[in-house]
Amino acid sequence: MRIGIVGAGSMARAHAPGWIAAGAELVGIVAKHRSSAAVLAEQFGTRVFDSYKDLLTAVDVIDLCVPTDLHKTMTMQAAAARKHVICEKPLALTIKDGQAMIDACKEAGVRLFIAMVLRFFPQYQAAQKAVVAGQIGDLGVLRLKRVSYQPSGDDAWFANEARSGGLLLDLMVHDFDYASWLAGKVERVFAKSVRSKKPNAQGDYALVTLRFKNGCMALIEGGWAYPLGVFRTAFDIAGRKGLIEWNSDSTETIHPFLESTSPEVARVGLPLTVLSEDPYTSEIKHAFDAIKNNKPFAVTPQDALEAVRIALAARDSLKTGKPVYVEGGD
Amino acid sequence: MRIGIMSFAHLHAEAYIANIRKLSDIELIGFSDTDQERGEHFSEVFKTKCFQSHEGLLDAKPDAVIICSENANHREHVVMAAREGVHVLCEKPIAVSLEDAKIMRDACQKAGVNFMTAFPMRFDPSIIVVKEMLEQGKLGKLYAVNGINHSELPKKHRLWFTQKALAGGGAVMDHTVHLVDLLRWYTGHEITEVYAEISNVLYPGEVDVETVGLVTVTFENGVFASIDCSWSRPNNYPRWGHLQMELIGEKGAVSVDAFAQYLTVYSELAPRDPSWSAWGADPNQTMIEEFIASIKEKREPRVSWSDGFAALKVALACYESAQRKEPIRLKDFK
Repeated sequence: MRIGIVGAGSMARAHAPGWIAAGAELVGIVAKHRSSAAVLAEQFGTRVFDSYKDLLTAVDVIDLCVPTDLHKTMTMQAAAARKHVICEKPLALTIKDGQAMIDACKEAGVRLFIAMVLRFFPQYQAAQKAVVAGQIGDLGVLRLKRVSYQPSGDDAWFANEARSGGLLLDLMVHDFDYASWLAGKVERVFAKSVRSKKPNAQGDYALVTLRFKNGCMALIEGGWAYPLGVFRTAFDIAGRKGLIEWNSDSTETIHPFLESTSPEVARVGLPLTVLSEDPYTSEIKHAFDAIKNNKPFAVTPQDALEAVRIALAARDSLKTGKPVYVEGGD
Repeated sequence: MRIGIMSFAHLHAEAYIANIRKLSDIELIGFSDTDQERGEHFSEVFKTKCFQSHEGLLDAKPDAVIICSENANHREHVVMAAREGVHVLCEKPIAVSLEDAKIMRDACQKAGVNFMTAFPMRFDPSIIVVKEMLEQGKLGKLYAVNGINHSELPKKHRLWFTQKALAGGGAVMDHTVHLVDLLRWYTGHEITEVYAEISNVLYPGEVDVETVGLVTVTFENGVFASIDCSWSRPNNYPRWGHLQMELIGEKGAVSVDAFAQYLTVYSELAPRDPSWSAWGADPNQTMIEEFIASIKEKREPRVSWSDGFAALKVALACYESAQRKEPIRLKDFK
C-alpha cells in the first residue's frame, strides 16, 4: 500500500518511522513549508509533492498530520478521492465536522482512523486490560494527569483555540477518551481552567470532573502551564477490588545527570520514555494492518467523536460555570 | 500542665498519647472512654488511666483536653470541658452541623478557654515550605491546585467513620477539611463556590455513606482547586493513603507529597505487607506544642475555631451541591 503524509511537524515526524516499520511504501510528503517537507523526505527516503491534490492521486492511504482546523476539509477531499484516511487527533473541532468526516468516509467506502495514540501506550493498555479482566473490580474513581509546556507549532496554531481547540481538545482529549474506554458513557462534566502564561489567549491548565452513567467518576488534569521540557503523565484507577497506580515521574528507566548548559527542548512535548516500541509506531502499524487486511480498528472514529463531545461539554461548563450533560453519542 | 484525652473513639488518640509523653513539663492524666472494653484495652496498651466517664476525667482537673470522640459527639464533649474551664484541642471535622459548631464556640468564649482545631498538616514542614515559596513569590500568582487526600476505607480502624449518625457523612466529612484548611491558609482567601460529585460506588451496601468524592472549590480571588477525598485506596495498600498537592502558578508549578518520607518494609510481621513506614516529620507533635504554647501565652492558637468552622462549612456544602447537582455559592449556604 502506498502512503502519503500531509504535514511536516512533530506528528509527521512521529508517524513516518511507523510507516517504514510497517513495511508501507511511503511515496511522498506534502507540507505548507516545502523546506520542512524536504528535510523529512530526505530523512525517510521519500519525496516532496507539490500539492495535496497531487499526493492524493499517488497514494492508497493519506496520513493527515495537520492542524486540527484542516482535518475536515482534507478528510472530505481524501474521501472524495476514495483514499483511506489516517487523521491526527482530535477528530475535529465540532461534533458536526466530526460526524461529516465519518459519514463522508463511510459513503466513499474508505476507512477512517483517528490517531488516538494514548490507546497504544503500553502502560495505558496494560491498565485497561487489568480493568477489563476484573482485577480491580467495578471502577470507583479515576485520576488522570497530563501536564506539559505550551507546544509551539507552525504559526503558533496550538495557541490559537480556533485552530487547535485549545487544551481541552488538543491535549486532554487523550484522557477523556481513555476514561471513556475504561468507564463507559459520561453523564456530566464540570470544568475549571485558567490562563497562567500570558499573553497566550487560552486556558493552559484545567481540572475537569467527569461523572459516568455507571456512577463512577474521574478527575482529569491537563496543563500547558509547565516550564519548557516538562512532560508528566499519571493515572490512578481505583475499583471495588483494587487499585492501579502509575506515574511517569517514577518509571523513567534512565536518569541522565549531565553537565549541560542548555538542554534541547522539542517544539511539542511528547510523553515518550524508553520502550520496546514507540507507541506512535505501534499505532501506525495497527492502522496499516487493519486497513490492509480489512480488520477493525482498536479505536473507532465514534470513540474519537465521543472524546470530542466530552471536551466540548467541558468547554461549555467553563462558559456556564455549571455541570454540563453530555448529549447523544451512541 | 495537665492534659487528658476525651474519648478514644478517634484513632489519632493513640498518636497523641505518644506526643504528649514527649513533652517534659506536661502530665498526661489519662483518657476517658465510655466504651469499657476499648478503654481497658488502650489503658493496658498505653499504661495510662482510663476514666470510665468524661465527668470523671474532668473531675481530675485537667488544664486542657484533646477531644477524640466521634464527630457527632464533639459538641457535647467540648461544652462539658469548657464549662469546667478546660482548654480544648478538637479533632476534625469540628462538628457535624454549623449549629453545633457555633454552640461549641459560644461555650469556649463564655468560659474564656482556648479552642484549637486539630489540623496537623498546618505544622508539616513540607507544607510549610510550600507556604513560604508562595509568600516569597516563587510561583508568582497562584492559579490552581490539584489536591489529593484519599485513603483506605477507615472502617477497619473504627466503624463509626462510616456511620452517618456518628461521623456526619463519609469520605467528604473525613478528608475534605484538611485540604480546604491548607488552601485557605495558602491563598489567604475564603472559598466562594463549591461543586462536589459524591458517590458510594466503592463499597456499595457495605457502608451507608459516600465513599468517593471529587470536590471543586473556587476562592474569592479566582483560584480553583480540586480535592479528591475518596476512600479509594484498597485495604491492602501499604499505608492509609496520601496528602498531595500540585500548585500551578504564573511561574510554573510545584508538587508536594507530605508523606513521601517512608521506608518500604516487606515483612509478614509489619502492619501491612509491604508497609510504608514513616521516617519524616511528625506534625502532630508540633500541633500539640502550639496548643500548649497558646494556653501558656494566653493567646489564640494558630489554628482557630474559625478555621475549623470554615472547613466544616465547605464539607457540608459538598452534600448540598451533590444533591442539587450544581455549584453552591457558599455565602448562600446556611
